[in-house]
Amino acid sequence: MKDLKHIRFYESLLEEANNPLVRQAKEEGGVAVGYTCYYVPEPLLNCGRAFSVRLRAPNTGSLDISQYYMSSFICGYTRALFERAFEGGYNFLDFYASSDTCQQMVRVVENIHELKLIDNPRFGYGIIDAPLKVSPHGTRFYTDQIRRQFMEPLARDYGVDVSEEAIRAAVAEHNELCAIFEEMSALRKETIPRITPREFHILSLVSYACPTALLLPYLRETLEDLRSREPDAVDPWRARVIVVGSELDDYAFSEILENCRCYVAADRYCFGSIPGRQPVPLTEDEPALDQVCRFYLETNQCPRFMSQEKVQERRELVARLAKEYRADGIIYEQAKFCDFWGYERTLNTQVLREEYGIPTLGIDREYVVQGSGQLATRIQAFVESLEIKKIREGGNGK
Amino acid sequence: MSKGIAENLHPGTAIEKHRRWRGLKDTAYDYGQWCRLWGILLKWALAHPAQNVKAVFRYRWMFSYLTVPSFFDRLCAGQRGAGLRAARNNLNYLASDVTETLTTIFSADLHLHPGSKKAEALNKQIICVDELLPALIGKGFPNCKTILLQEYPMYLPSLINQHSPVHYIGQTELHGLPADVCPLPSFEAGLAIEDDFPKIGCCMLTSNMPCDGSIMTSMLQDRRIGLPTQPLNIPLRWKREEVQEYAVAELLSAIEFLEKYTGEKYDWDALKEACEIWNEQNKAKFEKWELNRTQLPPHTGSSAWLYRIFEHQAVCGEPKALKNDRKVNKLLQKQVAAGICPKTIRHRAVLWNTPCNNYANFNNWLLECWGIDSVCEMIDLHGTELIDTGTHESMLYGIARMYQTSTMRAHTKGGYELMLDGLWEKYDEFNADMVILFDQISCKGVGAISGLFEEGARQRNIRLCTVRQDLMDPTSISRREMRNDVNIFMQTVMNETPLDPSLVTFDDDESW
Repeated sequence: MKDLKHIRFYESLLEEANNPLVRQAKEEGGVAVGYTCYYVPEPLLNCGRAFSVRLRAPNTGSLDISQYYMSSFICGYTRALFERAFEGGYNFLDFYASSDTCQQMVRVVENIHELKLIDNPRFGYGIIDAPLKVSPHGTRFYTDQIRRQFMEPLARDYGVDVSEEAIRAAVAEHNELCAIFEEMSALRKETIPRITPREFHILSLVSYACPTALLLPYLRETLEDLRSREPDAVDPWRARVIVVGSELDDYAFSEILENCRCYVAADRYCFGSIPGRQPVPLTEDEPALDQVCRFYLETNQCPRFMSQEKVQERRELVARLAKEYRADGIIYEQAKFCDFWGYERTLNTQVLREEYGIPTLGIDREYVVQGSGQLATRIQAFVESLEIKKIREGGNGK
Repeated sequence: MSKGIAENLHPGTAIEKHRRWRGLKDTAYDYGQWCRLWGILLKWALAHPAQNVKAVFRYRWMFSYLTVPSFFDRLCAGQRGAGLRAARNNLNYLASDVTETLTTIFSADLHLHPGSKKAEALNKQIICVDELLPALIGKGFPNCKTILLQEYPMYLPSLINQHSPVHYIGQTELHGLPADVCPLPSFEAGLAIEDDFPKIGCCMLTSNMPCDGSIMTSMLQDRRIGLPTQPLNIPLRWKREEVQEYAVAELLSAIEFLEKYTGEKYDWDALKEACEIWNEQNKAKFEKWELNRTQLPPHTGSSAWLYRIFEHQAVCGEPKALKNDRKVNKLLQKQVAAGICPKTIRHRAVLWNTPCNNYANFNNWLLECWGIDSVCEMIDLHGTELIDTGTHESMLYGIARMYQTSTMRAHTKGGYELMLDGLWEKYDEFNADMVILFDQISCKGVGAISGLFEEGARQRNIRLCTVRQDLMDPTSISRREMRNDVNIFMQTVMNETPLDPSLVTFDDDESW
């Protein structure tokens, strides 16, 4: 297939957190709000002059300093964020919207605060406490935390418009972005898909890492390009999988799968599109803030939700996606030292394999996966096993 | 030169060749209490001999309980005077309560009594709760017994016998769980995988206590245990007043759940009575801290924090525990008033972060080898607010606060300042001159601020000795390695010689 429109530009946007679109938004008077987790509702950070940047640490090399401050048994993502903050890579941030939903993640912002790592006099932060089950009083609690920790400081200290109208406008913009992604995601269901896993991963990442308003014009054109794009004449893919798991902002992961001719039919991981790129429905009879918060709490797929109905819901969702996207197997990936996904991966690889009958592979990985031969070997072996299964069932292997 | 303490230990097992001489009165007292312990154990064993033998063969972890006399001896090592008396009384109270609970557990256990109608009837009166959830909420069901499900197969065995977690952690890792997760939830998961939890209770309250690993192990355990389960979500940013409403709503929801499965109506008067007892227990603890702030700290050592944890979790609101507290406090106060300090103290240390279960008697070694007395321990400082028993709402508010500041949680949750600044505050408050900081390598919440401790200590010119440990996995970091961290610090940074050179290096790898 020919190159996707703007793909090189998108790649360049992923080279640094303070990318050209972020700089442009800042120059236009925007308030940069960093965040890391689905517990922080993205549209709310895009009200008025504010714009959200889901934090990444591209081109991470040595983690020596963060190892001193955070020990070597902490997940690579959080250490990389700390290291980048230490290097001054997040000085563009005005506000950090964090959540006490992962003890390693919350320590990043706490270290940043204590060590005064952000060289920006306006810098501030908020940390929400969030429930790990869905209940009416839990939703009230969650909404209240978001109001107190994010919305009020943004309005008070940065003059951001967080009115009902501003929230609805931000949600409308977010929903347009999601509609584009839903259409692109549907293309992954085609027999010979016209979008590659690497491309989708890049698009997903830029949508989180760039100001929505500035990115939308490019995405509209990319979607237009995709609509008319001709897929390859021959299906190059040996197997289709769903990737499920923890924070994954290195698209080299998808490249490794691609090199094994393994197609990522759906992405259910942090920084992926499920959940995260589904429109937020709003009605007129309830404040938008309440509706957005409830939506994010109810659709949250973090393994931290410990009630049995949510545990089961997570498995059902993955099984449903496997069916809907015609996946041959599932890959559960876990960032090393992530407690949540460590348990989730361990248990669900067995449950989905044994109780749902879906071939499932569990892997743990470093934050930066580029050049990981070990990972490629495991993926390769899994793809072969899926092919063998197909052959045994009377299908064709490649 | 007198004989070194380690010379009285069998190499490998570190079992004493003969009982320690502590002077006539203390040796006689210690021996008397040791005999009392045997009395408690025999009374328990002989009450239901067949059931107990069955339990020993059914549950791998039960073996650890057979070594309790040796465990108590280790926790009392080197203690004299009121400290020894307090330790022995606390531990023997603990033994009597644990044996009583084990009897209830085994009588109701459907693994031991499959199909038994009697056991089934008993189970209707048993509420299981997560072991880090204090049992106080269950006091509103006076006809039921609230049992911390993991306390007896996991937490206590991990203290009693350092090898007890190894098999279960191994099982969990065999199932694919990474070895970097905290051994406590990993041990619990292993018990579930091995089906080694007693099959008891009519329902279960789980929780997010104290950390991310505990949240996740619940998912695995729920699946295996199979009881109707409700998670109790305890807020994390507990210093914030605005989270309390949610905390109380969660308790009310839990009460509703328990009422449904026990068929009992919640008894607020019974809860009030228990809360008032707990307040007195807490006041007794405050008195002990006050005594430890003096130049003659009488209540230090491993038994002190172990008892505090047990009291806070399992016997909060228990009149017998309060009776023991008052008895112990009298002994301690008498000694301090008399100006007696029957131990050699070179350093007053604050021990920060979670202590190491697989080396429960580490404090005793610190004192005997280097003269480092643990005048304050982080693990001791939880649930310190008194509960206002005026109304139902105020009681629930008080219990919610107690839960939010529970074991391993009061400092590790709620913001890094609580853990970091809390240390410097206690350092001053207890007139300490050094800090022993446990680097519990798999504790990510604390590990992620480890640099701030070092910087803070440097800025304040505080001597901070970091001791690596892995909570309850001796295969990661052994007792010997923990001692070595201290030895190196004391010899190179402090430039000191040990009080007892025989204790600097000795072999106790095979010890329980």
